[in-house]
Amino acid sequence: MSTALVRTSPDAGLARPARAARLRGLGAQALTGLALAGILLLAGVLAPLLAPHDPLGQSAQSLTGPSADHLLGTDEFGRDLFSRVLYGLRQDAVVALLAVPVGAVVGTLLGLLGGVNRWADAIMQRTFDVLLAFTALIMGVTVASIMGPGLPAVVLTVALVNIPIFGRIARNAVLGQRSRDYVVAARVLGASPTRVTFRHILPNVLDGLIVQLALSLSMAVFIEGAMSFAGIGITPPEPSLGSLLRTSIAFLDQNPAYAVGPIIVVTLLVVSFQLVADGLTKKLLRR
Amino acid sequence: MWSYLLRRAPSALLVLLISSVVIFFVLRLAPGDPAVLVAGPDASAETIEAVRRQLGLDRGIVSQYLTWISGLLTGDLGRSYVLGAPIAQLIATGAAGTLTLTAAACVIAALGGGLAGVILATTGNRWLRSVVDALTSLAFAVPTYVSGVLLVLVFAVTLRILPASGQYPGGFWSAPDLALQYLLMPAVCLALPAAAVVARFLAAAMRSTLDEDFIQTGVAKGLSKRRNTMRHVLPNSLPPVVTVFGIQVGQMLGGAIVVEAIFAWPGVGQLLLQGVLNRDYLLVQDLLLLAVTVFVVIQLLTDIVHALIDPRIRETL
Repeated sequence: MSTALVRTSPDAGLARPARAARLRGLGAQALTGLALAGILLLAGVLAPLLAPHDPLGQSAQSLTGPSADHLLGTDEFGRDLFSRVLYGLRQDAVVALLAVPVGAVVGTLLGLLGGVNRWADAIMQRTFDVLLAFTALIMGVTVASIMGPGLPAVVLTVALVNIPIFGRIARNAVLGQRSRDYVVAARVLGASPTRVTFRHILPNVLDGLIVQLALSLSMAVFIEGAMSFAGIGITPPEPSLGSLLRTSIAFLDQNPAYAVGPIIVVTLLVVSFQLVADGLTKKLLRR
Repeated sequence: MWSYLLRRAPSALLVLLISSVVIFFVLRLAPGDPAVLVAGPDASAETIEAVRRQLGLDRGIVSQYLTWISGLLTGDLGRSYVLGAPIAQLIATGAAGTLTLTAAACVIAALGGGLAGVILATTGNRWLRSVVDALTSLAFAVPTYVSGVLLVLVFAVTLRILPASGQYPGGFWSAPDLALQYLLMPAVCLALPAAAVVARFLAAAMRSTLDEDFIQTGVAKGLSKRRNTMRHVLPNSLPPVVTVFGIQVGQMLGGAIVVEAIFAWPGVGQLLLQGVLNRDYLLVQDLLLLAVTVFVVIQLLTDIVHALIDPRIRETL
């Protein structure tokens, strides 16, 4: 089509003011959550620098209570629980920062594609129906039975679970925007469907996707923990928050602090993501 | 009603059909040879071949799929490769545990969540409302494997008033009070997220119902606050709650996998995890399709119940 016309049309500036306002107006609640989640995930990423002990290093002092040397005490093999919690956070950082964005981007692209092409839409809808019928843990079991338990299985599960969620949101948003004046105007000006979708519609449906991103991060922590707890995620001796909690049950009598660290860290993580989601919902969706 | 079901059924069946194909073919990608598994580690090549023929694994993959599906449709789920028992029997035993747990959790979620929702929507006490609000937020956000371990830490390890895990060995009716003690913590743990969702949705629905004219009429007529709430506000706020409750029941069946693992509660979830770790593929295959089927059926039922209790939707069906 007449690309010259599109290039000269001043459409590009339309989305910018909105984006700038969004960053400024995140709100105290969302920022608190973001800061808290950021600190926790950063602690996970920097675990090799922060951990006082080797998370796999065994010692003779097993199941000791908290002390200055071992902040959370030691586990049944004398490994430092504080270091293991930090390395457990590291796994969650990988899942949250790798799997969720992959699932979000793939899902959004497929959803947008469905919003543009009717045939693609029919196929996408059935695909999403099937993916959604595999609830998170059933998806985890399916993936783990092919790949075997481990971090890759968790990452793939989280990505797969997120694809239909973001796909549905993106598609419905596109359908809702399609007959808006600005979209019709862009189309009349000769912009291609792809350009209309990415340049005009996508910036206007980002709000819903961003809120879902926060919810999905919380869900990623949940899925990693649940899979590892159930023995189909990250398996010992590799530390993970889920498997730490699973093992702790047998030793709560001897060292109650065994479970306390993971309980606090997981709770803080999910609550901080929840704060971000709630704060963003108030700021972005209920204007 | 029936026309609605007829309209929804094809897409539900399509989802089930595609899921069965996906589950069947995806599990074929898994490592390990079922024939070797069944024949045992020391079996000769001939024995393994004989077992392969007996299990039908030597035939084409499409033919194997059709055999599997026709078996399922006639109620023959096959035999577990590892446990040797008929899979239908294993599932029936496990389902008793899982259904007991889920039913108890549903009751707790409906009552607890309902109470919290009514408090959130109607109390004039700001302090009480903030506490209930914070509790529902926590119950919603905290994963079951965290709340479960916390429950064990508090009630079994510290206070020592409830058993940490397992099921009462003597059967439910021999000592209902003891059996309930074993059931209580797993059921509460499974119910917490659902209760929070029920509370949130009920409170939101009740607040919007409170603004309706017919409620104002009730107030003007001089109905007591309690009677107005119970007789008029609550029933008219239920339809959206029923829909989310249905979704939550679907989530619970997934959550039961984790809760059963926390409390060593014998059920389908334990069977499934055991199957994955043992590479008992036929068992896993059957259970995965069962899980998907249950999810799809619950979705359909939820829509139907929603229609039944809300005359406005029923009219349009």
